[in-house]
Amino acid sequence: MRVLIVGNGIAGETVAFSLRFRRPEVEISMLSAEEVPAYDPCSLPYYVGGDVAREIVFRRELNDYKKYNIAFFPKRRAVSIDTEEHLVVTEGGEAFPYDKLVLAHGGSLFRPPIEGIDKKGIFSCKTLSDADALAAHQGTRAVIIGSGAIGVEVAEALKKKGYEVTIVELLPWILPTLFDEPTAKRLEKALLGYGIPVRTAEKVLGIEGKDRVSAVVTDKTALPCDTVVLATGVVPGRALAETAGIKVGRGIKVNERMETSLPEILACGDCVETFDAFTGEECCLYQLKHNAVNQARVVVGTLLGGKERYIGAYAFARAHFFSTHAASMGKTLKGVEGSLGVEILERERDGDYLRLIFREGFLLGAQAIGSFADMMGLLMAMMWRRYNFGRVREDLENLRSRDLPYPWTYGQLVGILDGRKELL
Amino acid sequence: MGLKILIVEPEKCDGCRDCEKECSLFHFGVADPDLSFIRIKEDGHFGSFIPVVCVACEEAPCIDVCPMNARERRENGAVVTNQDRCIGCRACLYACPFGAVQINRETGKSGSCDLCREDREGPRCVKACAKQKALLYVSSTEVRRIRGEGSVETIKQVLRPQGKESLS
Repeated sequence: MRVLIVGNGIAGETVAFSLRFRRPEVEISMLSAEEVPAYDPCSLPYYVGGDVAREIVFRRELNDYKKYNIAFFPKRRAVSIDTEEHLVVTEGGEAFPYDKLVLAHGGSLFRPPIEGIDKKGIFSCKTLSDADALAAHQGTRAVIIGSGAIGVEVAEALKKKGYEVTIVELLPWILPTLFDEPTAKRLEKALLGYGIPVRTAEKVLGIEGKDRVSAVVTDKTALPCDTVVLATGVVPGRALAETAGIKVGRGIKVNERMETSLPEILACGDCVETFDAFTGEECCLYQLKHNAVNQARVVVGTLLGGKERYIGAYAFARAHFFSTHAASMGKTLKGVEGSLGVEILERERDGDYLRLIFREGFLLGAQAIGSFADMMGLLMAMMWRRYNFGRVREDLENLRSRDLPYPWTYGQLVGILDGRKELL
Repeated sequence: MGLKILIVEPEKCDGCRDCEKECSLFHFGVADPDLSFIRIKEDGHFGSFIPVVCVACEEAPCIDVCPMNARERRENGAVVTNQDRCIGCRACLYACPFGAVQINRETGKSGSCDLCREDREGPRCVKACAKQKALLYVSSTEVRRIRGEGSVETIKQVLRPQGKESLS
């Protein structure tokens, strides 16, 4: 069997190496648009900010590919798939044959249609070369466009390097996919406390400057700056699959076995659209590391004829800057808008904040700042096990601690539900 | 034979906290429970004590979520934090279904049970608990003997919080 993998991100790298660990005889080739070994995009802001050395971002060394007999083809951007002849053609016109094809080419930075977006001094933090450019740049005043995880992390990184930093967010609050307004507003306040002002509900209209940026113009003001960072999110790479006649939605559509509409072509990582692990909703895009890893494992299982089924994608992310720690998992209130039986439970203590989202007694999501976040994993375990929180108290009467998989969490959680703070 | 694993029998724990002291002593040279990788949690509701320690999940969520690839599995099966890579973001702690990752108060970085590395004497907490036997360091065959048939499956299931079966 010849397996061809397009993309050397977390998903592609995981497929290549786990497949190799399980099957020494399979022929594995990998095409990568970049020329470096696999690295971790999540770590890039910390390299930019100087927290870690550049070499820390890598997941592999170039030597590893040779060592594990993976034919690695760097600087090969795949541009088309010949599904009849089973060939992938690259930008340079080379053709690579496959028996099984794995699309793991990820996504690309969403470049908003803003006037002046091609000026000098405009950066992003999607790929390692983006991060290299930003790390080498010496500016003094930066405007970050977009306040997702990368936006906030880059803001922290540049602040640490001595920049004056402002974040501009189009939506009414920061980290809008992770948090609801009450959580996000607390984090905005924290950012301001570290000297990073956040301008929400503000639309960037254009970027000024002769050929270097001099200001970002919004619908409310002009922000003078010498550095702009686009942190406007990632769009799944659909074109390669779409032009080959593979079914796509917002991303490449896959089934529980991570097969596309053509069974000999599989896909995983940021380029796919899957379903939500908890609600089963389709068209789900949580472009997060753990989802890429889980999907890659299923791909390997499917390639080897195993029975693995994808459990679905889920949101889990931490937000961390300076000494502020927050986390989110599952759905936000906005994410379950319009459904019945939704209940919100909030707790606050010494500036820490907890927000739980229930639907008919079942936990659907949680957001936490400070020490409340420490129990996020326990809450997630409860969510996976579909504990009915409405019945927790009743259960306690009937169960001995021995029978409970997470005995001490019950005490803690009942404490939260009852508002008994001494149990936390 | 396979790897040995650390198992916890919470109902035997009497809350003496000797394990915390021994752990800290071995790893940091001082008997400070606040540095320990194992923590005794007192359950206010049941009035019982539960030792919380990394159980080195087979598919460890902390490894999957770490943005810096700092969570690594050692040859002895333990999952530990590479201190050169850790940025102290706590993603591992937040993803842990047991809350078993500790944050070092000095460095702000994460850490968890390393099974006392390759030390011949085995995990110090287990030694400290020789009387109560709430902590055991055993092979999977022994787990079967101690907990009865089927328990290995149960433990495996607990160690896989992301298992499909838990969704049905």
